[in-house]
Amino acid sequence: MKVIQVKCPSCNTPIYSKERDRLFFCDKCNTLHVRDGGAEKLEYEIAEFGKSAQGEKVYMPFWRMYSSFTITSKSVEGGQLFRLSSWLKGGGNSGSLFIYLPATDMDTNSMKYWSTTYTANPPRYATRLNFGGVRRLAASMNREEAKSLADFVVVTMEAEKPGVLQRLDYSLTVNDAKVVYLPFVYTQGGLTPAL
Amino acid sequence: MADISIGLNCPACGGAISVTEGEDTTPCQYCGSMLFIEGDKGVSTIAFTNKVAPPNAVASAQAWWTRGFKARDLKTVGQVTETYPIYLPFWRAWTRVAGWVCGYEERRHTDKNGRVTVERIPKEVMVLQDYNFSEIACDPGDLGIRTLRNFVGNTSFADFEMIPTFEATTSKDDAVTHAKNDALSRARSGARVPHVTFERLHVLPRRLSMIYYPIWVVRYKYRDRMYMTTVDGVTGQTMSGRAPGDPLFQSLAVTAGTSVGGLIAAAGLIFSGGTTEIAVGGLVVGAAILYMTYRFFRHGSEIIEGEFKEKKASAKQTLNDLGSIAKQIQGGMR
Repeated sequence: MKVIQVKCPSCNTPIYSKERDRLFFCDKCNTLHVRDGGAEKLEYEIAEFGKSAQGEKVYMPFWRMYSSFTITSKSVEGGQLFRLSSWLKGGGNSGSLFIYLPATDMDTNSMKYWSTTYTANPPRYATRLNFGGVRRLAASMNREEAKSLADFVVVTMEAEKPGVLQRLDYSLTVNDAKVVYLPFVYTQGGLTPAL
Repeated sequence: MADISIGLNCPACGGAISVTEGEDTTPCQYCGSMLFIEGDKGVSTIAFTNKVAPPNAVASAQAWWTRGFKARDLKTVGQVTETYPIYLPFWRAWTRVAGWVCGYEERRHTDKNGRVTVERIPKEVMVLQDYNFSEIACDPGDLGIRTLRNFVGNTSFADFEMIPTFEATTSKDDAVTHAKNDALSRARSGARVPHVTFERLHVLPRRLSMIYYPIWVVRYKYRDRMYMTTVDGVTGQTMSGRAPGDPLFQSLAVTAGTSVGGLIAAAGLIFSGGTTEIAVGGLVVGAAILYMTYRFFRHGSEIIEGEFKEKKASAKQTLNDLGSIAKQIQGGMR
């Protein structure tokens, strides 16, 4: 077993952090990288805070996966299917959508809530190059895990509506995965979006 | 999961490193450098420190002798012949299961006219759960240990030179496969959907560790026969063992079992009133009790506790044997 100091693969600057984070961000050259066998640079976006954001600010990392989705057949008891079809670009039984998944550790209900909320209503934001001194939550989910869970998000969105899902035959392909840091503020009710 | 000291230092400032078991990154608590722990092919390895002294291991084994249906004179006649510690390797895996299980359950209702209706209740169950898994990473021989139950304790490799260590012989890939299968099976049973029409479950292996765990082996003699007990080197609790059974309990089991089994079989034949099903039912139940009595008698001379492979096989074998007996009896009645 060997311990190494994590350094930026672009500029070789050591990475410092107070939290255990699987995504390493270099404050000097703004490179985000992950280590899994070797250092790999990642594509990412950092969203700008809304002007009206009040309270303690924090960035939450999400995996945003551009995916193709096709429903071949379905069955629901006591309800109607096709909540999903309203979110698919292209309409009908197939199309594409952005699937969001929180990359940070959180309870299962919160994970389900944020992933289905942002997948159903993709956030719109202006981007910035760095975090501007705002704290970011540590990421604990890697890209492969996120790709596997993308499937879970779409079935959850379909299942959690009136009626009981009995069968859903579909195919899902994740074409692209990117890290997106979205702005939040701490309020009495917990974390609140601050776009 | 507790933070553990892994006996390594920060390459930037030399400070001692604490890391959560199974994690591969940690910030240095002294200089703030982000550190990455490279294990053997991505597996972190830790060893628990032995906390048990030889007299404590023997005392724990002797306390175990007095529990259950073991020979009542074991404590006075049993003689400890050998006591030694070993390190056994275990895989430990954390796995997350996410997905949905959909289907239905059937409920039968009988109205006052005896008419049976079946109600079909659709079910959809979300599964989003983390599971822990452990299994021994070598051939445990006759030790009766296959999984690890305690994960709390100090860790250090300091004892490695003094305590014989078993090498890991099973592969990382096999351990991951077993952990995934275990998580999937627990997730399915936890969903409680009797008739599944749709299932999409994703099993995500999250972390894998190799744990070396100290175990004391206490071998002892009872009336010229050798037995053994294993004691947890961290908690001091017994983990597995073989011990002589008590002849009195065996005799009682045989007497009671044959009596009850015989009575039920006879009652089935006498009170069947010409109904084949009742006669067959009585015979099957009677035969089952007789068979279980026989098995208890056969194995009653030795009390076995722990995860012995042969013990599991015999339970499964018992069910198979009972099934074939029932079939033979039913065939004979027709």
